[in-house]
Amino acid sequence: MKPVGNDPVTRLDEALELLPRGIEPPRDLWPVIEARLERRPLRAPGRWPWLAAAAVLLVVGSSLITASLLRREPAATAQAPVARPEAAVTRAAFGPGQTLDPAYDVIRQQLADSLAARIDRLPPAARAKLEANLAELHRATAEINAALELSPGDPLLEELLINSYQDELAVLASVNQLTGPNGSAATNDEVSTRIPL
Amino acid sequence: MAESGGESEFERARRAADERVLVDAAVRGSAAAFEKLYRSHVGKVYGLCLRMTANPTIAEDCAQEAFVQAWRSLPAFENRSSFGTWLHRIAVNAVLARGRRRQEILGSEMSAEESVAETLSDPSSPDPAAAIDLEQAIARLPPGARQALVLVGIYGYSHEETAAMLGIAVGTCKSQLHRARQLLGERLNAPEVTA
Repeated sequence: MKPVGNDPVTRLDEALELLPRGIEPPRDLWPVIEARLERRPLRAPGRWPWLAAAAVLLVVGSSLITASLLRREPAATAQAPVARPEAAVTRAAFGPGQTLDPAYDVIRQQLADSLAARIDRLPPAARAKLEANLAELHRATAEINAALELSPGDPLLEELLINSYQDELAVLASVNQLTGPNGSAATNDEVSTRIPL
Repeated sequence: MAESGGESEFERARRAADERVLVDAAVRGSAAAFEKLYRSHVGKVYGLCLRMTANPTIAEDCAQEAFVQAWRSLPAFENRSSFGTWLHRIAVNAVLARGRRRQEILGSEMSAEESVAETLSDPSSPDPAAAIDLEQAIARLPPGARQALVLVGIYGYSHEETAAMLGIAVGTCKSQLHRARQLLGERLNAPEVTA
């Protein structure tokens, strides 16, 4: 390959930037790595500040989206009143003895309010699916927390709980996608394919 | 904020939050969470090791060592930098430690260069032959120049960050990068290298 621009150094830098950063190894390295991992006792976590941080990010994003929707679709607010979703209003926990950041539930409520505004803009079927997914996640979270009461520190249960919180983030993010770049609601077909779970 | 930009930022924030969840779980001893982190980062770690060592076999060893060391060091991880950046530093240390133990990475062999170039060639590249030429030329660089070029030129670290990772002075890093660019320019213009 020859440098093709007027400035060879610049062209070289451009060519370097085009190279892929990541490359998969020819074989899966995980089995060897896993065999070398020393098991360490599960450390009892204290607070979960990342939950608050994640919620703050979602609230900021949700608020911006909501403001955009309200600005762009004033007529849509005149729709018939709909039931408020029960999204993200249940108290979050992480098994017995786990202290959540006190600000988390406050932020969670703000998130629920923001989410409710966006859900109102979705087609009824989309709203129903979203609410059903969130309700299912909350039910699963409650069940896992109940199981953690019986088996504190169980790694499998903790992983399931982490996955539930991640799934909730994915569902909330899907609302952002469903509202589309111009604030319009998605079709029911899009909803069926784009809402996780 | 533009919707598209906002959406992208939202998605990035979600991914960052997801990673924080995984890191937190791994810190507390979850190997399952650590495996997810491995799946997410192994490409960049292996790519970094491969380019720094110019030897696929040694790169595999270094990548494995990096993840094992990361697991051991996770309890001390304080989220001051991103997990990816922290992991890259560990990978660089693994490469350098390997180089101190064995001389094999100090002189790359032609077979290894060809293997590296083949491994790194991206079929989706607009000019795969050019990419192979460039990868081969990088693999032929002297180790010091190659490592500076890989970290600064490909992975985007600053001279200060690169110097700290390699344990050299900033001025040395700059001169190594200058040397690397000079050698690459010469080799890429050589008729026998030109596609």
